[in-house]
Amino acid sequence: MSGRSRTALVLLLVLGLVVLVAGAGGCARDVDTFVFYINEPYVIDPVNAQEEMGINVVNAVFDGLLDFDPKTSELIPAVAESWEPNADATVWTFNLREGAKFHNGRDVTAEDFKYAWERILNVPESGSEIAYHLDPILGAVEMQSGEAAEAEGIRVVDDLTLEVTLAYPFADFEYVVAHPSLAPVPREEVEADPDAYAMMPVGNGPFMMSEPWAPGQYIRVERFDDYWGEPALLDAVEFKIFSDEETAYLEFRAGNVDFTTIPSGQIQSAIDEYGESSDGWEAAPGSQVLLGGELSTLYVVMNNEDEHLSNADLRRAISLAIDRETIAQTVYEGTRTPATNIVPEGIIGWEDGAWEYSRYDVPEAERLLAEAGYPGGEGLPTLQLAYNTGDGHEPLMQLIQQNLRDIGIETEFDPMEFAQLLDVYYEGAHQLGRLGWVVDYPIMDNFLYPLFLSTSADNLAFYDDPEVDEALVAARQIAEEDERVRAYQEIARTIGDDAPVVPVVMYRHRHVVSERVRGFVYSPMILANLHEVWLADDEE
Amino acid sequence: MRAPAVTTPVAPTSRTLWGDAWRRLRRNKLAMAGLVWIVFMVILALSADLWVPQHFGDPERIDTENLLELQLQSPSAVHPFGTDRLGRDILSRIVYGARISLTVGVLATSISIVLGLFFGALSGYYGKILDTLIMRLADVFFAFPYILFAIALLAVLGRGYQNVFIAIGILGWPSIARVFRSSILSVKESEYVDAARVLGAGDSRIMVRHIMPNAIAPIIVYATMSIGSAILAEAALSFLGMGVTPPTPSWGLMLSEARGFLFSAPWLMIYPGAAILTTVLAFVLMGDGLRDALDVKLKEEG
Amino acid sequence: MLAYVVRRVLQFIPVFLGVTLLLFVLRAPGVLPGDPVRLITGERAISPELYQQVVEKHHLDRPLYVQYGYYLQGLLQGDLGTSFQRDMPVRDIFAAKFPNTVRLALAAIVIEIIIGIGAGMVSALKRYSFLDVFVTLSTSILVSVPVFWLGMVMQVLFGIKFKEWGLPFMPISGMSSAQFPDWAHIILPAITLASVSTAYTARIMRSQLLEVMGQDYIRTARAKGLSSNAVVWRHAFKNALIPVVTFIGIDLGAMMGGAILTETIFNWPGVGYEIFLAIGQRDWPIVMGGVIIIVFAVMIINLIVDISYAFLDPRIRYGGEVR
Repeated sequence: MSGRSRTALVLLLVLGLVVLVAGAGGCARDVDTFVFYINEPYVIDPVNAQEEMGINVVNAVFDGLLDFDPKTSELIPAVAESWEPNADATVWTFNLREGAKFHNGRDVTAEDFKYAWERILNVPESGSEIAYHLDPILGAVEMQSGEAAEAEGIRVVDDLTLEVTLAYPFADFEYVVAHPSLAPVPREEVEADPDAYAMMPVGNGPFMMSEPWAPGQYIRVERFDDYWGEPALLDAVEFKIFSDEETAYLEFRAGNVDFTTIPSGQIQSAIDEYGESSDGWEAAPGSQVLLGGELSTLYVVMNNEDEHLSNADLRRAISLAIDRETIAQTVYEGTRTPATNIVPEGIIGWEDGAWEYSRYDVPEAERLLAEAGYPGGEGLPTLQLAYNTGDGHEPLMQLIQQNLRDIGIETEFDPMEFAQLLDVYYEGAHQLGRLGWVVDYPIMDNFLYPLFLSTSADNLAFYDDPEVDEALVAARQIAEEDERVRAYQEIARTIGDDAPVVPVVMYRHRHVVSERVRGFVYSPMILANLHEVWLADDEE
Repeated sequence: MRAPAVTTPVAPTSRTLWGDAWRRLRRNKLAMAGLVWIVFMVILALSADLWVPQHFGDPERIDTENLLELQLQSPSAVHPFGTDRLGRDILSRIVYGARISLTVGVLATSISIVLGLFFGALSGYYGKILDTLIMRLADVFFAFPYILFAIALLAVLGRGYQNVFIAIGILGWPSIARVFRSSILSVKESEYVDAARVLGAGDSRIMVRHIMPNAIAPIIVYATMSIGSAILAEAALSFLGMGVTPPTPSWGLMLSEARGFLFSAPWLMIYPGAAILTTVLAFVLMGDGLRDALDVKLKEEG
Repeated sequence: MLAYVVRRVLQFIPVFLGVTLLLFVLRAPGVLPGDPVRLITGERAISPELYQQVVEKHHLDRPLYVQYGYYLQGLLQGDLGTSFQRDMPVRDIFAAKFPNTVRLALAAIVIEIIIGIGAGMVSALKRYSFLDVFVTLSTSILVSVPVFWLGMVMQVLFGIKFKEWGLPFMPISGMSSAQFPDWAHIILPAITLASVSTAYTARIMRSQLLEVMGQDYIRTARAKGLSSNAVVWRHAFKNALIPVVTFIGIDLGAMMGGAILTETIFNWPGVGYEIFLAIGQRDWPIVMGGVIIIVFAVMIINLIVDISYAFLDPRIRYGGEVR
């Protein structure tokens, strides 16, 4: 072989290899598929599903005892036809419907709930990080620490009756069981191959997994025809995984995605182009941009144990210095609402302006700053302002920095990765820092108990008021709803007076849906009603 | 991000060599264009405080009162390059960004050169185990994916632009060390070094008087190219959120802020991108010109 | 030849140990702030029991050198450990991502070979022509463009603007979609990834060809009456190709982990981006496993490149002498 042809051969081999590798792949699909943008979920097995992305997949593939109404967040029946607590809300009985089936064809029974919940509670084995949902159940805490093999509070009365006993009265417990992760799980499928189940869970929801999760690429589900309720109208849903919303939005504009997030900065142009939904949650052709409220709050956490920030007047001054309206209007283009309370709008019992210092008032801020002993910021060192990188918080943080500088408080950014940030927060090494709290259940308790109870691990402001602690525990036991809500409102105002954190804005949707989609609702709980959606081309 | 490595020297140095080189360089139109642009950027960056904030506004301060009108203005007479989403003038930020880019480029390269000369000298001059050790360490550095290494280093050092040039500088030493080592090896055994040694010259004197002059030309070429690479690296790291922290204006950071505005506010992307492109191009052209003028043989690699 | 290969493979070992050791130093307590265990539950606190369980599972309570021992032991058995974050074997994570990276890198290399070598040859053979100036200038520009900027510009132009103008447009992200055949998705990322390297390849090809053609033996060949074409092909091209192949080999290695920016812009689920995220999440098993896979791939590629010299240049034979 001559040198020249040898060279050619080498090149040819490389080329051939490339064509082989590059050309491998599937072909286009022609069923009616709804393409739904998500980031890579953490987990899609209910045993540990916890963030928006994983929860939306779980919500499509599974059905729990109860569900949230997509618009009002009120409870509606799902696998449980009816349910009731006893007089002091310590024993709850759930009556399951007949004919609810898993995707493998087997009927769903009360036993499957017990199995699913104990699978979560068996932390030593499952490593589940969401067992806190089940904390109120009698024996749940013991099971998590490995002291008990089962939770004595979860009792299977018969195939269709589940009885749950709580360790203490908890009148809002019904909201807890509606959480999508607390769905039934078929033991036989998990035990056959736990690893496979994690990638392709078998559930009882309106959609079933059509192939295992392809990490970094997609999760595909198709209609489950034996669903207990109305079968889904869509043939299939593809949860398409993108690493960032800019790319997803480009794909949306290219017509390849049906539901996506609008990158901040393009909201107004999206409204101009696609029209705004009238209620903010439901999409229709020509009103495809969803800007409805979400049940979560973005806030600046202050370390109440810090040498300077332990001074309540300083905290109040900081809170009053933040121009929430400008932040909402500019950084978020109106897709956030100024927060006047740590509890977001949409939660029963929410009151506008419940937190006295959660407003913009520069003269009052300056007065309180002086009262705190730092007139014009004098005597106050540069404070550290922490946030996590990679999520586009920079414009918000720069505005907050400017606001504080305007009343004489100098801050220095301390950006870090989320891992490091949490570390700093949990250790109390922070002064000021960004945080958000996303609802688990649409009740006030969910924003007060974890964030401000002195012994709660999520109390990163290190707020400590024995009276508030007492009131929080007592409120959970009030059976009568109005009375309970009034108690929480009182607690919220008391906490707000101390300004332990700075509520900044409440989240809103900033999503857009393609024109061919009908009947789509993205709820305040950040859940999509995929089983009620259809595509316009279906009608032809 | 790619640093061209320079191999083997080089003619002996003399006054006429530098004179000849300058004459050759002056005839190279592209290199001169590069030089002019570099000088222009340096003047811009140095004089910024005298005229930029007065005419175009502060690069960092946010006017929260009027933010709604100020933000995302398209280019106009008042704001020739438009404003960003926090209402700051893009031109002002680009001019101040030039400070960051040039500082990072020059300081990172200086660090690489100091470290590279040090390790290269140890390796080439003393040889043996030290040589093997240092060259294996260089292999480890080369084996590591460059940008991932930089990210990991920044994760250790923390963000901020000081750490950016330190990280980029640290990562650049192996190339320089190799160049310098081979320079040393090629002259170490030569007769005039032997002669110098016989005459009683110490190691450091031999290094300074006999070896450095031979190695200086490739190092100058390398340094010029490397400033451009460092500017690109800074931009990439800041783009990924690992580099310069806001509100400091950095071209890479400005591009990452522009990502959400590709359609609605394309000027956010165009001007910082053009600033990076032209500045790096100037260093590349200048480096090419120097290489030809100094007659350095250059092996470009990834 | 075999002895050479064996020796080269043995040389891998210290570099390999160096890389793993360096990574372990990075994860030593106090070096890199941030507790990986905390991250597992995001913004919510975790119970001490769960914390302890995670710590024990990953041997995080043992001294660093013991952890290193565990790691090497696993490595020898082909076990790269389990991700802190996702509770999946690292091997499985990269088994899914590595082919994507290889696919993208190979597509980019094809562009690099065809356009880079082609442009370099044209430029050298038609020295000082318009084409030469064009190639020289455009390669200078290409090496100066931030790749992420180029990617963004192409997305807007070929994905959105072309569609608006009614021209054939291209998918701008991901690896597959309903509208496009899978192969179409690789075009823009491959061009982006290849851009800088193609420019370098062209520049090297040009300078090498010019140098080789200026050498005595080529002049001799010409003087002996061989046609210009034959000279270029038989002698000059092949000799000029050696440094080019070296560069392309090194570059292929660099693309294994260095495609982070391209992967970020085009949402390409590759190894580099995975490692980038893992560094932020302090997910050490993924960082270590990923870097080890990359370093390994780079070494293999370098070995292949060195061996391929023997094909390109018969003068090079691998005997006893260590190069």
